[in-house]
Amino acid sequence: MAEMDLSRALEALESAIERSGAPHLDACVRCGLCGSSCHIYLTDPRPENLPVAKLETVARVYRRRRTFLGRRLPWLTGARDLTEQSLDEIIASVYGRCTGCGRCSIHCAVGLDIASLIRAGRHAAAAAGRVPKGIQDTVDNQIRTGNQMAIATPEFLETADWLSEDLSRERNSPDARLRVDQAGARVLYLVNPREVKFFPLSLQAAAGIFHAAGESWTLSSRVYDVTNYGLFAGDDTAAAELTRRVLAEAQRLGVAEIILGECGHGFRAFRWEGPEWIGKSYPIPVRSVLELFDEYLAQGRLKVDPARNPLRVTLHDPCNLVRWGGVSEAQRRVLRCVVADFVEMTPNREQNYCCGGGGGLLSLEDWGELRVRSGRLKAEQVRATGAKIVATPCHNCADQLIELSRVYRLDVEIKSVAELLYDALVPA
Amino acid sequence: MDTAAGRFLALTALWAAVALAVQAGRVAARHHRPHASRAGDPGRAILYNFTVTMLPSHKESASRHPISFSAGILLHAAVFASLTAAFVSLLSPPRFDLARPVIAWTAAIGVLACAFLVLRRILSRELRAISVPDDFAAAVAVGLFLAATAATALGRFPVPSLQVLTGLLLLYVPLGKLRHAVFFFLARADLGRRLGWRGVYPPPARTGIHG
Repeated sequence: MAEMDLSRALEALESAIERSGAPHLDACVRCGLCGSSCHIYLTDPRPENLPVAKLETVARVYRRRRTFLGRRLPWLTGARDLTEQSLDEIIASVYGRCTGCGRCSIHCAVGLDIASLIRAGRHAAAAAGRVPKGIQDTVDNQIRTGNQMAIATPEFLETADWLSEDLSRERNSPDARLRVDQAGARVLYLVNPREVKFFPLSLQAAAGIFHAAGESWTLSSRVYDVTNYGLFAGDDTAAAELTRRVLAEAQRLGVAEIILGECGHGFRAFRWEGPEWIGKSYPIPVRSVLELFDEYLAQGRLKVDPARNPLRVTLHDPCNLVRWGGVSEAQRRVLRCVVADFVEMTPNREQNYCCGGGGGLLSLEDWGELRVRSGRLKAEQVRATGAKIVATPCHNCADQLIELSRVYRLDVEIKSVAELLYDALVPA
Repeated sequence: MDTAAGRFLALTALWAAVALAVQAGRVAARHHRPHASRAGDPGRAILYNFTVTMLPSHKESASRHPISFSAGILLHAAVFASLTAAFVSLLSPPRFDLARPVIAWTAAIGVLACAFLVLRRILSRELRAISVPDDFAAAVAVGLFLAATAATALGRFPVPSLQVLTGLLLLYVPLGKLRHAVFFFLARADLGRRLGWRGVYPPPARTGIHG
């Protein structure tokens, strides 16, 4: 690796820590108690899987440059230079052994934001051009084509057309359609392109709900991707570019609000990190579609019958939406209205365990075995509820849960909140 | 403060205070108000993060490791009490004499807690893997300080020597791991503020992690 790459990596790492993590780094006492809150360590209790061990791969490099003892007596603080070898260790720790779920942060004995410090390692890797291929390819797709699945616009429009036809038939209304590029609509709706490609019923369900609620909404054929793999990559430049594109499209279409589809990291990226990436506040409000659904129900704009969803349903809380995003109650209020038997898994909300598929880990084939093994806690949580359906407002989580259901023989169906709400709709 | 030991302790206390304040100031200077519109109450969240989340009912690092957690609490209580005692010995010797039994017991318990935590670090494979020499240096420094405090309270160690030893500890505090004495508060406030801004903290009322 070129000396220049290491230099850039070092600069990015230091900058990321100084932006948000310095007080946390200087407060760590390496007590190791964080291990008992990490789904990866709990399912594979090796020292390198301790959150603090992952943090130390990053911290030791920072200490070498930015602390008095690290500069003068590096052996005393374990400080070390950033070399190809230490960067390799950082990359394995921050992409492979950590989903960035943040559960260690809220259970840390001292109160450190461990996950954010670990994330600084991703910035270093991105600056050195060492983002793992699966994640980097997705970022490249997003930048090049506008969506992570590299779906061509004609294919997107074709999907929107046949979904519209199906929806019109199903709702028995010519107005029940997917709206695309409707200037002046109130809402710009962003979706996970996986819905377009693999889970069209989820997109159709959202369209059906908007229709039933009388919403003025639109998709954009150019900018419809709610995801932002720049967050996972640690590439703030790419993340900022994707954020700006959404804002520009919203302004071009003249919408009053941006509504983010069911996507954990997409919500966190656009709602919370995006303004930091672009360095300013948004000119228009942004909400999760869950909050909008909740509002429709509260305003009586939807008539629902929970008996239409008779099977027991539990809810998986995506870390980026709940622990990092603050949206925890809207989806619960919706589900309590639309399913007959809703049970919480334990623990839940901001205490919930990561499913194992977060942080871009689903894109990293080399870490597949660890990913599935680390999902064992989630599988046990689901099994304990006796639920037949797991609702989750995140397609990455959904993919992981589908695999966990197969591997751990859970015999559960995975659905989005929109699908359950749509299934419960009754004619007004 | 008219002895050489007393002046040394006062000067090192000033050094520790200024050095830690400068470091904390640098961190605080980098803080900026988030650009994203606020969804919660950061003030309440900081309070929540300094109170409820520190209870064993809400913190797995405490509830799943009750012995280590308790040892940590006892150690820190003993350190703060012993530091106070060292300054009381300087500013009001009669009060130090009055409190000798309490100081001795507190510091002695601290020594035991410190020894337990050092042993745990040595015996645990995971902890050995993540430990650096500074972890042991800090523990030895604090352990010696506590032992000296206990011995002084029992009349087995001269007060001026305790003041010098305390001063040496204070010289070390702003440099290594012991900085967490200040950064603990900054980190906890920062996480509370961040999660409060996003409406994560404080979460809906519940009885604990599994509530």
